[in-house]
Amino acid sequence: MAKAFGIITAASNRYVVEGMQDYRPISSFSFAGRYRLVDFPISNMSNSGIDRIQVYISGNPRSLVEHLGTGRHYNINSKRGKLQLLFHDEGNINRLYNTDIAAFMDSIEIIERIREEYVIITSSNMVFCQDFDAFLDQHIKSGADVSLLYHRVDNACDAYHGCNCLNLNRQKGVLGIEVNMGNNKDRNIFMDTYVMKKSVFVDIIKKAAKTSSMYHLPKAIETEVENYDIRGIHHKGFFAAITDLKSYYDANLSLLDFEAAKSLFDSKWPIYTQTTDSCPTEYFEGASVKNSMVSNGCIIEGTVENCVIGRGVRIAKGAVVRNSVVLAYASIGKDVVIENQVIDKWAKIIHANEIKSDASKPGYIRRDDTI
Amino acid sequence: MSQNNMLAMILAGGRGSRLLDLTNKVAKPAVSFGGKYRIIDFPLSNCANSGIDVVGVLTQYESVVLNSYVAAGGRWGLDTKDSGVFVLPPREKADEGFNVYRGTADAISQNIDFIDTYNPDYLLILSGDHIYKMDYDAMLEYHKEQNAELTVAVRPVPWKEASRFGIMNADESGVITEFQEKPKEPKSNLASMGIYIFTWKTLRKVLIADMKNPESSHDFGNDVIPEFLNSGKKLVAYKFEGYWKDVGTIDSLWEANMDLLGKKSELDMSDASWKIYTEDVSTPAQLIGKNAVIDRAYITQGCIIDGTVRHSVLFTGAYVGEGAVVEDTVLMPGAVVEAGAKVTRALVADGIRIGKGAVVGSADSENITLVAKRVKGEE
Repeated sequence: MAKAFGIITAASNRYVVEGMQDYRPISSFSFAGRYRLVDFPISNMSNSGIDRIQVYISGNPRSLVEHLGTGRHYNINSKRGKLQLLFHDEGNINRLYNTDIAAFMDSIEIIERIREEYVIITSSNMVFCQDFDAFLDQHIKSGADVSLLYHRVDNACDAYHGCNCLNLNRQKGVLGIEVNMGNNKDRNIFMDTYVMKKSVFVDIIKKAAKTSSMYHLPKAIETEVENYDIRGIHHKGFFAAITDLKSYYDANLSLLDFEAAKSLFDSKWPIYTQTTDSCPTEYFEGASVKNSMVSNGCIIEGTVENCVIGRGVRIAKGAVVRNSVVLAYASIGKDVVIENQVIDKWAKIIHANEIKSDASKPGYIRRDDTI
Repeated sequence: MSQNNMLAMILAGGRGSRLLDLTNKVAKPAVSFGGKYRIIDFPLSNCANSGIDVVGVLTQYESVVLNSYVAAGGRWGLDTKDSGVFVLPPREKADEGFNVYRGTADAISQNIDFIDTYNPDYLLILSGDHIYKMDYDAMLEYHKEQNAELTVAVRPVPWKEASRFGIMNADESGVITEFQEKPKEPKSNLASMGIYIFTWKTLRKVLIADMKNPESSHDFGNDVIPEFLNSGKKLVAYKFEGYWKDVGTIDSLWEANMDLLGKKSELDMSDASWKIYTEDVSTPAQLIGKNAVIDRAYITQGCIIDGTVRHSVLFTGAYVGEGAVVEDTVLMPGAVVEAGAKVTRALVADGIRIGKGAVVGSADSENITLVAKRVKGEE
């Protein structure tokens, strides 16, 4: 294709994931055991033939930069293509000013120099598969100036809080964009994914930067509904929005459903990630593992039920881990009982007998903590 | 070459015909092992971990898969400016006809020009079909300390099996005095592992003479090592005590996989300081279903399990359906055991499907059942 270049934005500063975010930006969160959230949008682009991709990074960049590396593992043509990391200076004390528009304006010369006619913008806190080539085709055929990707949900009262929703007319024309406050269960959740001509994009962000330094791209787009033909395009398949700890936890555990996992992990649409060359997982006598997703390099001697387990996790004899997301290299000691937790990397739970939370409000155990 | 001035050559030309259908279309070094690896990942990773930058891989039999596999040297980190994995099948040369490799030594002789371009001080010769972890740099240190012209890695084997190996008789200081190829009455139980470090200048001369010798079978064991001994060169034995396995047959391949299920596997695949590197595949983590029972198993990414798995090794993308029972079995990449099927003491080849309710293998069979063709189940 190569008619479009790709932009992957940092998650909106509206979203705060308790604990986890102290250590890394949302883009860099571990997901489904062996991936990081940013792997999904990059793989979507790579699989769609987009080989010029910009990743905007804000917050502590260490883990994300290490993970993205040269981008080779994303199967991007290393001669014709490029994975470009753009750091947005977060000099503003008030985080309200650290907007995506400000980040784009920091790199406006780079954006203006790019040859591709179209731009596809997506965010790394939204997990889904989408053929962006088809998305662009549909956009061009419709004759719209801007197309926005959305997912229709029927549980917006209980989930997707803080996400943007599209108000559409019958022809899928965008009437407005508003934040989901949970007062309506049927909603078109905006997937923070856009396609438009680069010239339209540059025009909109320049205008927005002049109008208000607190504008985000969705707000800037909304103010243009009278000037441009803006439409929604419907997405089908697995979709999760990571906006807080609960949604992060739920999205991981939703993959324990075989059908959901199959729709996200289609062998014809591979999701690429950085390999760590960890060996297969060893299950010992006395282990009992059910309804779980387990990464490589683990040593499992205890009981695991309804969990997503990251790489190199150790679960000792007699330990019971239920309904939890355990990140890489964490260690659960002998006879420890864990329920409804997100356990961050390298945490060791040795002395505590029992750590339980309510499923509606999962607990969080910090990175490197020894409990 | 900058790291220790030793170049490695891996002999990977053999078919491994005793692996039957597994090597119909791939050479033995490319056969899968240990859930996510191929056999040749072991010598290649050992090279990378030992600070060897340049590795030549001598291929001959069904080399398409093997050639493209090893050519991607980046998998082992061997793709920097001064390093590389070079695929060396026999080639046609000016003023000579097209030659196949006539023996292990001939494979090296025909690539003297390649080795000369790097002008190494030492040449490491390896086999592409053994499973072990070894620090070749430590062996090189020994070679230098001993001022040897050839160092042979040896390991003690049970006396009753010694007559199956090439046996090295060495004195107390490690100097090899005699070499017996498969002796009826072995004088020692130190078997050659087919791992040699040669001082390149010396070997080069011997190989050039060997090429011209019409009597020679151009083999390291039969010709080159005896020639070194006869001409009074210093040969030393380097004793290796760790895990080592030649996976020449279906039974030994199955056994080596089962060894990974030992209480504490001797091979210790999880040692982060000596990782074995391999192809990176884009499959999700393993999915374990609601009905799964897993008791002592070695399972890798991409597997989907909703049945019972006992004492088994499952390779990338293997599938075990609801109610299926897999016991003492190796499921190679992409093998499928459909719902209700029962597989016991078997090795199921890559991508083979065992149909619903089918029964394969038995707990008291003498040999391991190789399943290399689709097994139909209930329709």
